[in-house]
Amino acid sequence: MRYKIIFDKPGRLRVRFGGYAFDRSLEGCIRKLVSSNIYVRSIEVHSANGGLLIIYKKEHRSDVISFVDSLDFRSLIPVKEENVTEEIDRDFKNGLVRLGVNHLIRKLIVPAPIRPFLVMYRAAKYILKGIRCLAEGKLTVEVLDAASITACLAQRNFSTARTIMLLLSVSSLLEEYTHARTKAVLTSSLAVKADKVWLVSENEDILIPVGELDTGDRIRVRTGSVIPVDGEITEGEAYINEASMTGEPLAVMKSVNGTVFAGTVIEEGSVVIKVRAVSSETRIQKIIELIDSSENLKAGIQSRAERLADGIVPFSFLGFGLTLLLTRNITKAVSLLMVDYSCAIKLSTPISVISAIREAADRSITVKGGKYLEAFAAADTIVFDKTGTLTNAEPVLDMVIPFDNHTEEEVLKTAACIEEHFPHSMARAIVKGAEERGVLHAEEHAEVHYIVAHGIATTLYGKRAIIGSRHFVCEDEGVTITDEQQAYINEKAGASSVIYLAVGGRLAGVLCINDPPRKEAAEAVRLMKKCGLENVVMLTGDSCSAAEIIAEQLGITEYHAQVLPEEKHRFIEQLKADGHGVIMVGDGINDAPALAAADVSAAMSDSSDIARETADITLRGTGLTELAVMRRLSEQLMERINSNYRFIVGFNTALLLLGFCGVISPSLSALLHNGSTMAMCMKSMTPLLKSEEHIG
Amino acid sequence: MNKFFKNEKLWCAVAGAAGVIIGQKVLFSEKTRELAVTGLAKGMKLTHDVKAAFQCMKDEAEDLCYEAKEQAGLSEETEE
Repeated sequence: MRYKIIFDKPGRLRVRFGGYAFDRSLEGCIRKLVSSNIYVRSIEVHSANGGLLIIYKKEHRSDVISFVDSLDFRSLIPVKEENVTEEIDRDFKNGLVRLGVNHLIRKLIVPAPIRPFLVMYRAAKYILKGIRCLAEGKLTVEVLDAASITACLAQRNFSTARTIMLLLSVSSLLEEYTHARTKAVLTSSLAVKADKVWLVSENEDILIPVGELDTGDRIRVRTGSVIPVDGEITEGEAYINEASMTGEPLAVMKSVNGTVFAGTVIEEGSVVIKVRAVSSETRIQKIIELIDSSENLKAGIQSRAERLADGIVPFSFLGFGLTLLLTRNITKAVSLLMVDYSCAIKLSTPISVISAIREAADRSITVKGGKYLEAFAAADTIVFDKTGTLTNAEPVLDMVIPFDNHTEEEVLKTAACIEEHFPHSMARAIVKGAEERGVLHAEEHAEVHYIVAHGIATTLYGKRAIIGSRHFVCEDEGVTITDEQQAYINEKAGASSVIYLAVGGRLAGVLCINDPPRKEAAEAVRLMKKCGLENVVMLTGDSCSAAEIIAEQLGITEYHAQVLPEEKHRFIEQLKADGHGVIMVGDGINDAPALAAADVSAAMSDSSDIARETADITLRGTGLTELAVMRRLSEQLMERINSNYRFIVGFNTALLLLGFCGVISPSLSALLHNGSTMAMCMKSMTPLLKSEEHIG
Repeated sequence: MNKFFKNEKLWCAVAGAAGVIIGQKVLFSEKTRELAVTGLAKGMKLTHDVKAAFQCMKDEAEDLCYEAKEQAGLSEETEE
């Protein structure tokens, strides 16, 4: 295909194939195709002029040129764009430009006699909306919009009517943009990363794209794979890590007739799953659709701003009536409707909210709507779930207790040697613990047998070696643990989980595994207190001793242990009933009711999908300290909205008074009003936090 | 009879009816359709060309900025 080199410098090549070389549906495909070359660092594709901008490793110019030479767009098949946010941003920018250009065309190119008809045609929509609101008995901003547009038309002031309509269109475009972008960010953060699946057919398994699956199909999923659908197991058994759903780090055993969910991972085993719900019907997709249709995205602050703007409407009409009564001058009276507060409030508030949501997204925090920012700023209590939130939910080997003349090293060596064959979280903790302690474990045992849901057995130097739970070692295998040994284990292990190792029918030792707090957890708790959250509470289903140890390490004074999920929910409700604004931070399915009950909830990126779905805020980074950033951001946003509101009311009131007294002309008043609105919007777009600002 | 033909209202009605018939013929004629399609196509092409021209200007402006940055030693893309 013919193309022209527009810019060619080492590392940067811009080529142009012409305006009709390919259409927009091929952009994603071309981007993927070009990016698949290892020497390409980034690529921009523009269908408008058929342009490609390729940023590549400097020494590969000839490769890039030959690749571009070989491009043939006719053979490409459109693919769905992965980077939806970029597309949304582009659509928004295009929409803004289109509005501006249309406005200018109507103003400068359309012949003067036709312009009023065009304005009236466009105004009809707003006027009808206002009439509908009035018919429903509501005196809202829509009525004021309609009244001011009608007043402008009645006075033959078509230019002002056009400007008011432009500002309203920009506001509506912004609203659509916030909605689309937040949904896209949410979708990408929840997306199931499984593209292809093995479809079980009569003769053999066939690899097909997930999109081609139908309800009732049977698919095979093996060790290490993400289950891409919701369904039921029809063959085989496997250990499935449902951490993405339940927050529980330990895998659960599932066999025939067991239910599995999209997004969970098979740790070990192979199963055939009968598809119950395909990708577009999975739970995650349903939640995304729910969010899509919900009003949550419309920021509470936005709603409040609209309520405030609506609240001013009767006063505007009152002012109009009084002015008419006192001055008997319709022009002066109408000027009160002309300089309205609503445009500025309705425009600057969503911009501030979008700006804050985007700023949060830049800091790897996904906020599902503006009202959660408001609730976050207003809260005085933060409740943390322990496992998976304050801790990593990644078991770590804490202690090895040897018995029967064995050394610690021997116990760990044998345990690691056996466990390394089974990639469970507990087994991984033991193997990793051995690695960290420099314990080498050569293969000295015979074949290992995995006794499902119990433990592992093998033969070591002619003796039977078993490792697993107390139930397996003592009751199933008949190993005796004396009362003294058990008392010693209980004393040493404290809140840890205990794995028992027996060799030759005698207890060789135990391995204590626990879940330590995240390294930044203590700092996060300190910062939250510093940010004005008076009550920091920890809830856990764990034992009192485990809760006490963690609370002490993190400086949390109030904690509640052995709390069931429904009790967590009740606890949150009680806090709210006591007049507290509550932030709940959780990770598992057991936290979902509490997350839903809180004024605002947050989940970590490594939380279960359901927690992330329920939570209003998702921290895509894994740092708990991001919560402090979030608090600061939300406070700054509230401050900005309030100061904007004060300015809008003050400035526009001054304009009204000056106009009323005849100090400034109506046109200057309109110019200052619109100018101040635009300036306010520009200011609202600036970041709330300094780029390198450190909270703490 | 003469009076009848001199009635202005009659002629207005006749003219109106004729206008409707002719207007309908013109509006739904193949030629009008052809003109409308051509006009729309020209409009679409113009929109496309404007977008392409705007994108070209944007691209070239970006390239100029890149060159300026490179000369000032600020370009990130040149850094490996």
